[in-house]
Amino acid sequence: MTVLRVNGRNMEISDRGDRTLADALRIDLGLIGTRVSCAEGECGSCTVLMDGEPVTACLMLAPQAEGHEITTIEGLADGDELDPVQQAFIEEQGFQCGFCTPGLILSAKAFLKENPNPTANEVAVGMSGNICRCGAYPYIVKAVLRAADAPRAKQPA
Amino acid sequence: MKSRFTYQRANNPGEAIALLAQHGDDAKIWAGGTDMTLHWQREIVTPKICIDIRGLSHLDFIAAESDAIRIGAMASLAALERSDGQHHILAMLSDITKLMCTPQTRTLATVGGNMCNASPAADLSPAFVALDARMVILGADGTREVAAVEFFTGVNRTDLGAAELLQEVVIPLPADGDVQGSYRRIDRTVVDIALVNGSAAVAVGSDGVISKVGIGMGAVAPVILDAPDAASTLEGKTLADVTRDDLANAAAIAAKHAKPITDVRASAGYRQDMLEVMVRRALEDAITKHGGTLQ
Repeated sequence: MTVLRVNGRNMEISDRGDRTLADALRIDLGLIGTRVSCAEGECGSCTVLMDGEPVTACLMLAPQAEGHEITTIEGLADGDELDPVQQAFIEEQGFQCGFCTPGLILSAKAFLKENPNPTANEVAVGMSGNICRCGAYPYIVKAVLRAADAPRAKQPA
Repeated sequence: MKSRFTYQRANNPGEAIALLAQHGDDAKIWAGGTDMTLHWQREIVTPKICIDIRGLSHLDFIAAESDAIRIGAMASLAALERSDGQHHILAMLSDITKLMCTPQTRTLATVGGNMCNASPAADLSPAFVALDARMVILGADGTREVAAVEFFTGVNRTDLGAAELLQEVVIPLPADGDVQGSYRRIDRTVVDIALVNGSAAVAVGSDGVISKVGIGMGAVAPVILDAPDAASTLEGKTLADVTRDDLANAAAIAAKHAKPITDVRASAGYRQDMLEVMVRRALEDAITKHGGTLQ
């Protein structure tokens, strides 16, 4: 039995080892907020946090995540209260179609933990592992800067 | 169809080596797994056994010692990025990691995996060649060492035997004086691989004389190239006397080693011309970091 720790809960996934973490999260656990676009580690859509660090779930095997704390977009809100980064993306409209947004928000969580008071340029470089095909980048940068000003965002995930 | 494989976790290096010996070509090592997962999905490799060495935590270290910098094969690129405060050579390597892949991939990807993937366009490899790094290789009978420039034997090919693991990369530090290095590359944007790259390392003794020069060049041949003939034109010179022309001359000699190809990213001619510029600038950086004024 393979058990992953996801969003603070132990969850059982298939024992097949030749599957990516992204597949296990989406297919076994139904956590479809982890989006897969390129499946090659380029676009960042499938970004999740592993022990608070950003990883592309398409580039790792599911059993490699065993023993680590995985956070997906479904695990960010506290009940009905959105995470400050989620709230900032809504307030700044840091998206258009929304496909890439979960990955961007999780990248922003990890980035703000490393750099709680970034400049716009630091945000652009720090978020460079996520592609937005709608081109919402100016609003994404604004959203991350707004989240940096929200006190709760500065706490670790 | 990508291959079906059995996942095996190695709990220590001995287990990994035993599994390699048992399964031969059917087995592939997953360290960070970022290149291997990609190669498996693209059916470039078709393993029947995946040996996951992610748990070999005692190979996950970065140590700045008096005579050498040691980087464990399982140190992540993110850890190398954060090691900049430990030593100025680690600060140089940290700057290189910032050019590599994405923050998410750097969390997973390891220095050892990057070496063993043996891409001719890899970013750390030319720096390791310039710094005359040694690759420490672990097999069933213990360890052996090979120079970084000898480690790469072709595109995605290394000197590793069928049942061997890369244990660590050791960068020797000069007993007298100090070493400074630089890495330069041509790329188009962030999240890109080098069209061409060059690295230089210059050691200067306490007497102000250049004691050792190393040059590494990537994306201009199937393997990372060095240029001992170019390096030797600078060794023995006094730092204060080194001129821009000296460095341009050395870079021109170094660039003669290149055998670039034309592909979708750049033409052979462009790579050839830019290689010389990359090596010259890397040498200038290294000399300037030593306080050289480049008359």
